[in-house]
Amino acid sequence: MTLLKRMYDWIDVRLGARELVDKELFGYLLPRNINVWYSMGSILLFIFAFQVVTGILLLIFYVPDSEKAFGSVTHIMNNVPFGWLIRMCHVVGSNMMVLVLLFHMISVLFMGSYKRPRELNWLTGFIIFNLVMGISLTGYLLPWSQLSFWATTVATNSVGTIPVIGQYLVEFLRGGKLVGPATLGRFYALHVAVIPLTIAALVGLHLFLLERIGVSTPPFGLKDTKNNWQSDKFRYEGHPDGIPFFPNYALQDMTSIAVYLAFFLAIVFFDPYLFFPKDAFIAANPYQTPAHIKPEWYFLANYQTLKIFPSEFLGLAVQGVAMTFLALLPFIDRGNERHPLKRPLFMACSVGGILLWIGLMIWGHYS
Amino acid sequence: MENSSRRKFLGLCLGGVAAAATGAVIYPVYQYLAPQAGSSSEKKVVIPEKDVPEGEAKFFEFAGASAVLIRTRQGGLIALSAVCTHLGCIVQWEKNKQEFLCPCHGGLYTAEGTVISGPPPKPLAKLPFTVENGNITIG
Repeated sequence: MTLLKRMYDWIDVRLGARELVDKELFGYLLPRNINVWYSMGSILLFIFAFQVVTGILLLIFYVPDSEKAFGSVTHIMNNVPFGWLIRMCHVVGSNMMVLVLLFHMISVLFMGSYKRPRELNWLTGFIIFNLVMGISLTGYLLPWSQLSFWATTVATNSVGTIPVIGQYLVEFLRGGKLVGPATLGRFYALHVAVIPLTIAALVGLHLFLLERIGVSTPPFGLKDTKNNWQSDKFRYEGHPDGIPFFPNYALQDMTSIAVYLAFFLAIVFFDPYLFFPKDAFIAANPYQTPAHIKPEWYFLANYQTLKIFPSEFLGLAVQGVAMTFLALLPFIDRGNERHPLKRPLFMACSVGGILLWIGLMIWGHYS
Repeated sequence: MENSSRRKFLGLCLGGVAAAATGAVIYPVYQYLAPQAGSSSEKKVVIPEKDVPEGEAKFFEFAGASAVLIRTRQGGLIALSAVCTHLGCIVQWEKNKQEFLCPCHGGLYTAEGTVISGPPPKPLAKLPFTVENGNITIG
């Protein structure tokens, strides 16, 4: 203990570690009525770090070559000790990241935390959400299975409905007229370098904004649930009578991560192929389209929307409008009320929107 | 007193769980990264006698490392590890001088693997072999 204390003292006199810990951990006060939904961000940070680590481990054996990719993934699954575990963690983790991200966004929506002065928090979070969808899509191609190949063919093809530049965009995305070795090369670069680095940078910005602006107060259990922000000058939203982040809320974060891990490991060990249709186990064959090729669950609503409109362009345009609306929500919904039960229009639209999304997903699955 | 012993007990339990969880993560990751059995095969290598003419050397892989088979001008066969004993570079056969030269730091060995000059601290390791029906079996 003396040695540890001496090491801490050594660092403290050089960096002011004690002052930093007092300010950022014990002195970082959070609202008294903070709830479990505020720990979604910590779970997401944990998942992202976990995906990076399992992804780096997979890179050791994965070969990004259309002739060898499927074989290398099969080798990881069947021959490398615990290769199946590393890959399953990466696959299940990617799905769980999208799911937890949706919970995080829904909680922010319902608690009105996106409202001013936190427009930039919402916007950076929304961009991260899109990048997570992008990293999932690009990662989907890498095993070079029938599922990877044809799901990517369908996904990239939908861009072709954009007038004038659509066809060129499809070829640009694929690196050629059809999905092929060139597509694997660029998706690989996007998946392992460009998108993760961008996500990491944006997560940093997201956390900086959180720290700089201050944590929002949940609207539950309070008499005044109005947003009292004043736009005349910058004010840090502190919570002088709040609870410390450490140890109080750090314990909640750890508990939430443990609960998440319980669900995550239950899938990994008891239903590992939950996210694998049978086409995921067949090597890609560009001359044989499998019947009923479907995208991942989180793209099913987009897939079904494209199908129900008479023109694909209309289907794509509707999705573009919906996503733009969601991205700009803090600038559109400028009301001061934050409690969801006191915002009937918001409640009707958001619950309706979520039900519509789930409905389209189920429809897409069974269509 | 009761509180402090309970706290100590719970702390120990938590430490135990954390240690078990750490072990459960480290063990598969270590196994995943550890060299796989069979990747550096200990299998015997068979080379036809006619592939090694007099004064020539044949390099091959043996037990996951580089090895060399030489037939001297006098007709004798020698099987050696081709890994220089200095810093692990692969030696080259100097046919004219009938010597091994390590190009990394100039280590010089005789055809039998004995150090002539340079930094190598030990001779090249000898490998066992047998000759039968026109085939040389190393290992």
